[in-house]
Amino acid sequence: MSARRPHLATMIGAYAGIALLVAIVLYPVMLVCKKAFEPGRNFALSASPLPHSLTTAHFHELFTARGGHGELLFLRATLNSVLIAGATTVVGVVLSCTAAYALSQFRFPGRKLGLTAFLVVQMFPATMLLLPLYVILDKLALLNSVAGLVLVYSTTAIPFCVWTLKGYFDTLPRELAEAARMDGASPWLIFRRILLPLARPGIAITALFSFMTAWNEFIMASTFMTDESRYTLPVLIQQSVGQHTADYGLFAAGAVIASVPVMIAFYALQKYLVGGLTAGAVKG
Amino acid sequence: MIGRQLRDFAVVAVLALIIATAAFVAVRNNELAARQIALAERAAAALRDHAELPPTVNAVIVSAATPSPRHPFLRKRQVLVGDRWQPLQDKLLYDAAMRFDREGAVSELLGDASGRALVARCTVDTRPCPRIAVALTSPARPAPYPFLVIIGVLGLGTALAAAGALLGPVARRGGLFAGAGALAVPALLWHAPVAATVILLLGAGVALAQQAALTDRIAAAMIKSRVALSFLTPAATAMFVLVAAPFAIGILLGFHDHHHGTWTFVGLSNFSEILSGGGHSLDDPLNFWFILGVTVLWTVANIVLHVTIGVALALALSRKWLVGRGVFRMLLILPWAIPNYITALIWHGMFEGEYGAINSLLRLFGLSDVSWFSSWATAFSADVIANTWLGFPFMMVVALGALETISPSLYEAASVDGANAWQRFRHITLPHLRPALGPAVALGSIWTFNMFNIIYLVSRGKPGNATNILVTDAYRWAFERGERYGMAAAYATIIFLILLVWTVFGTRMVRREEA
Repeated sequence: MSARRPHLATMIGAYAGIALLVAIVLYPVMLVCKKAFEPGRNFALSASPLPHSLTTAHFHELFTARGGHGELLFLRATLNSVLIAGATTVVGVVLSCTAAYALSQFRFPGRKLGLTAFLVVQMFPATMLLLPLYVILDKLALLNSVAGLVLVYSTTAIPFCVWTLKGYFDTLPRELAEAARMDGASPWLIFRRILLPLARPGIAITALFSFMTAWNEFIMASTFMTDESRYTLPVLIQQSVGQHTADYGLFAAGAVIASVPVMIAFYALQKYLVGGLTAGAVKG
Repeated sequence: MIGRQLRDFAVVAVLALIIATAAFVAVRNNELAARQIALAERAAAALRDHAELPPTVNAVIVSAATPSPRHPFLRKRQVLVGDRWQPLQDKLLYDAAMRFDREGAVSELLGDASGRALVARCTVDTRPCPRIAVALTSPARPAPYPFLVIIGVLGLGTALAAAGALLGPVARRGGLFAGAGALAVPALLWHAPVAATVILLLGAGVALAQQAALTDRIAAAMIKSRVALSFLTPAATAMFVLVAAPFAIGILLGFHDHHHGTWTFVGLSNFSEILSGGGHSLDDPLNFWFILGVTVLWTVANIVLHVTIGVALALALSRKWLVGRGVFRMLLILPWAIPNYITALIWHGMFEGEYGAINSLLRLFGLSDVSWFSSWATAFSADVIANTWLGFPFMMVVALGALETISPSLYEAASVDGANAWQRFRHITLPHLRPALGPAVALGSIWTFNMFNIIYLVSRGKPGNATNILVTDAYRWAFERGERYGMAAAYATIIFLILLVWTVFGTRMVRREEA
């Protein structure tokens, strides 16, 4: 936009507006950070975002809290979350790679239908499938199991991975695959030896995003995992401020630990996320 | 000719087998449940009438719960053995008596796949019941899968289809249909008329497709693009098993009623109950149309706020003279980076109670406290505020991206031509924002429509369910209102139809704007 200096009033207005929004954005975050290091169970007894005294008691309590079977609840939940999010990512990426390649490099009848199907599945809420999946997993005795939740998360991870990876394969130069085909390479060889190595950055980004999505998921996990030792991090954190006992100190400490890695990953990757989301919506 | 006929029959046979097997499993499980529950009920009745107990049933009389003398918070029950009361040790029987006190008569098949049925009834008419009859049958296995019948029917069907193909083109289609008919017979025998009809329709459909040479054309196309299709197979199979099958099951569940582990077919009654408001007046929070209204209001309010705030911030941040643009942008997308269940819980804590942060802030500015979750308007506002906080960065980033594509020379040319600020915004900025914001609004509206976490964790439906949106209400039908799974499934189907219409309509709108 124009580089010449505007009126003083416009400048003051712009700075004031932005400063106000920044304050609104930062205030809840600061409250949580304050609570994580301030003694007491109540959330905020004063409006000040700065703590009146410091303690690490909440973190200590979080790491030492034990469940019914003597297990360390927080470490257990973290382990569950890592396992489930990791397995979901592997399932999603492995199953999607070949499909994304087919949808990007080949033209065949039903391609458009397939692309639309993968897109539509992403748009519809997870809660749509929650009930039938619950009934099915109940019949299969897979409630409260890591495998069950991985299956559930794969319903959203696979279409997401197909679309983002397809977008990445689209950006690779077609000439490479053409030249290999001229030399008599089979489609599998082209995929395995040429396109897959080139797509490595795209695969890494896709994997990280599906890991984050599974890591942050709350409602499915809280429905399917009712046994304390199977809780994932979001369920454990939500339980600390549940209906009966609310300990916001514990909640804030857990929230800080669960959010910080995700936030770092988000800041590192956000430009890819925005591009992928809107590209998907336009092409749909 | 015969090869192609067998190919078509194989497609019919595989689908028919899946349907017939599903029908068989459902029918035999229901039969087992009905038989075992009837047995347990007979035993409970026999206990009441002091008649002889059926064998293989463990049936006892359990007393009302009394506080333990040493730990009053523990409650104990006795069991009648002969004519003496003894302490009850069996946890299963204790839980059954507990449930009886809470919910009334219990009859269900245990969920542990053992085939045991549990029944609890009162033997006298006084409440709370002093003598609960609890009956537990011994384990039972459902009927085995009839492999011989299936193999026989498959052979018969193949023979019919092949014979038809040998006779000529008309007989070929007849043979295919007759073969499908053979596969429908066992489903009919298992008292699954719906499954039998579906199989017959499937056979008729493929026979018709054969007449139109459609099956040949599809087969040819599949062979031609077999490489692409084989690459597609892993993800497509996973999607079919994980999404399509549960989705179909979900729609079927909507036509059933669920009560303590048993499903009964009720036709369209769930749908008519929902769409007629279920006997609640239009301003009752349990009325579907009320919830739909709240959901639409919720979506519109959020999208308007997200877009307005997002675009305004993007316009400010795109000024080149603004110092620290990068830092501001980083700070302003912070809400997007935080997991949204955490955002929701933070805002719940901030709004909650007399001493919540928001009320403290209000007092700081000399205003009086607000009890946020006790009236609809304030609870709804609290949800909208929390969701706007986390939602505007997306619109801001999209708008910023679009603004970067506008060349500064356009504005300079417009200024030279004497266009004022409003005209420059109206004729340059807005047309450039639209193609990017269209899809973002379409996507954002679907996200907001389904924003479960905020509603569920911030206002939690308070006051009295009034701030539920469709997805949270569907969830509550399933998991918080006595496992009304059928109602929840019907709800989900209706939500799906609404979203489908909205998506088709929405993408049309986006396309038209692009054109």
